[in-house]
Amino acid sequence: MAEDTATHEDHWDTSSAPLTISVGILFLCLAFIFYFVYDSGMAAIISLGIGTPLIIGGIVIWVNEAIGEEGEGLSVPSMGWFILAEAMIFMSLFANYWLQRLMTPDWPPAGTPAEMPVLIPVIMTILLVTSSFTIHIGEDKLANDDKAGFIKWLVISILLGTAFLGMSLFEWVHLVGIGFDVTTNVYSTSFYSITGFHASHVLVGLCIFIAILIPALSNRTNIGLVKTGALYWHFVDIIWFFVVSQVYFW
Amino acid sequence: MGKVLKEWIFTTDHKRVGILYLIGSIAAFCLAGIMALLIRAELTYIGPTITNDPNTYNVWLYFHGAAMILGFQIPALTGFMANYFIPLMIGAKDVAFPRLNAFSVWLFFMGIVLALLTFVVPDPPDVMWTGYPPYSVITTGNTALYTFTVLLIGFASIIAGVNFLTTISFMRAPGMGWNKLNIFVWATGAGFIIQLIFVPVLGTAVLLIAFDKYLGTNFFDTTTGGDVLTYQNLFWFYSHPAVYVIFLPFMAIIFEIVATFSKNMVFNYKVVVYGGIFGIVLVSGEVWVHHLFVTGMPDWIRIGQMVTTLLISVPVGLMVIGLVGTMYKGAIDLSKTPMQYAMGFIFLFLIGGLTGIPNAIPSLDLHISDTYFIVGHFHYVMAVAGTFAIFAGVYYIFPKMSGRMYNETIGKIGFWLSFIGTNVAFWTQMEMGLEGMPRRYYDYAHLPQFESDQMVMTVGSILIGIGFILALGNWIHGAIWGEKAPDNPWGSNSLEWTTTTPPPHGNWPEIPTVDADWHPYNYKKS
Repeated sequence: MAEDTATHEDHWDTSSAPLTISVGILFLCLAFIFYFVYDSGMAAIISLGIGTPLIIGGIVIWVNEAIGEEGEGLSVPSMGWFILAEAMIFMSLFANYWLQRLMTPDWPPAGTPAEMPVLIPVIMTILLVTSSFTIHIGEDKLANDDKAGFIKWLVISILLGTAFLGMSLFEWVHLVGIGFDVTTNVYSTSFYSITGFHASHVLVGLCIFIAILIPALSNRTNIGLVKTGALYWHFVDIIWFFVVSQVYFW
Repeated sequence: MGKVLKEWIFTTDHKRVGILYLIGSIAAFCLAGIMALLIRAELTYIGPTITNDPNTYNVWLYFHGAAMILGFQIPALTGFMANYFIPLMIGAKDVAFPRLNAFSVWLFFMGIVLALLTFVVPDPPDVMWTGYPPYSVITTGNTALYTFTVLLIGFASIIAGVNFLTTISFMRAPGMGWNKLNIFVWATGAGFIIQLIFVPVLGTAVLLIAFDKYLGTNFFDTTTGGDVLTYQNLFWFYSHPAVYVIFLPFMAIIFEIVATFSKNMVFNYKVVVYGGIFGIVLVSGEVWVHHLFVTGMPDWIRIGQMVTTLLISVPVGLMVIGLVGTMYKGAIDLSKTPMQYAMGFIFLFLIGGLTGIPNAIPSLDLHISDTYFIVGHFHYVMAVAGTFAIFAGVYYIFPKMSGRMYNETIGKIGFWLSFIGTNVAFWTQMEMGLEGMPRRYYDYAHLPQFESDQMVMTVGSILIGIGFILALGNWIHGAIWGEKAPDNPWGSNSLEWTTTTPPPHGNWPEIPTVDADWHPYNYKKS
């Protein structure tokens, strides 16, 4: 099949980003395997050192290529399909949590602290809901061609999201400090996996925002990309209501 | 040379991504096939035949199952065939997100790389393709490798699903309404919907195993209040629908071939699409518990799941009737290799499907579960039937893809060898299962009565192997030395044959439009 490239004059579209990111992800998997299976911290660090720059570099190439394209405006509906898949991840975690909760005779199981934090999740909820509104305002600003306003509201959203992650981290450190870690009991297992999965989604959302922000500073924006990122952020926000109501306050 | 290589590995064109998928999945097929032959060789005689180590045998079983399903069938159907056919069939220049498409194929290749590490690392994974805890958590084998293989290939199929559903929804040629889509486009789209709903659940399940094993969480550890059955439920919640992800595209590719070689309108087009394909999507999520009949559950769940499982045969029946009805009064041409594979497929699929019905009934399933009968059944209905459909599809699209013709004689010899071999091997296997031979055994010294049957099975498997090797050799030979192929060698009416052979970058100089009386299966008008 190599010869049809030779006979056809037209050039074939290429992009080095997909392969770069994929190889980076492979090295991240290897890092996990080296560290946890073969107890080789050194090899794990080397794999991380190769994988992380590849992923970041790949994303930079990708965003650079994509941001200039008008596209067909299909990224927003496709994000809808992706959100369906993401929602199923949380569904399976919640299903597991609900089953265990209903089948355990005395809930909460031994080892759970007498008082789970209440104030922190309330503040986190307020932060995340506010950020959903601020990114929406930013989106409106961009639609009205107000780029300075867009950048301002985008930065506010990023700060709110970062504060959310910081509080999440603070709370985990606090809980682990009083002896409630992933291995304690079934509740801690579900608690950390569900909040952790959610936090990882917040992190991905923040990465999307940063990938939008950096080119925006040099005046390169793409309304489709912003709308898609914002849609993802709203989804993360909605999932948080399930997390906070089921894991903290039930 | 450097430019050609760069244009291939950095390609974002859907046809080339499809061919990359084909290369990867055929590589997985060959390796997993070698594993199958090693398994057969080991079982030919009582006692250690080619290995003394049961763990090695376990690793072969693991690799055979995991690579055949995750590395060969799903990527060949939803990767290669979807990529190559769908944009051409709906008259699009490319998929909606070409870079995402390339990302999906490379993630799949990284998954294959991880799977190949099985042969290199100390303590390879030995958890079958199911990875059931508690064994997968307490084994010294490298379960993380299994987890990441599944995660990468799963994520690849999720982004492929997002991509293709968007493509099908928004990029159809002007004038192409929903009722003018090829069956293949419908079925693969439905398969992708199933993927999007269920793959994340599998991903979560295997990730939780890794958490349990390496981070010490308590998901499946019964001593601290966890529940092993949760894993089985999560796993089969995906892995039963996964057979429909395989089933829908392979059935649909047979529809394309049968309609083309019968020069006939698909019988009951709307019933096949809305009743058959979407009936399966509807029922697919409610039947997974039939994999757990023997693990213990209340009777009312067993009965309910028996009913839903039996219900599956209704949409499947509609599709088979559609296939056979398409041939009725058609100008059938049985002389071409793809059509022969298609006919072989229908035969194997019917045997497999009909032996599935007794499995759905708990009172019988309790006795034949975990015997060779189950293994024979799913090899008929999914493994070999699916492989026949994939081979039929590759033969069918081969002239368009490579621009050259394959050798008909060798193609047919290959078909008949693997067809006969399949029936020799797996019919014998089902009989052994009914007589009580359990599956997954490394040795059967306490069951000496099965030795002759095992030998027959090994002979069958060798026939299958030779047949498939002939087909692979035929493609390689044809792609390099075959005669030049015309644009439309089969005289099909479908849109993918209207472009030049092989299709150039962008598929058509201008996006085609279709007129009101056009239909991919309308052979009457001319």
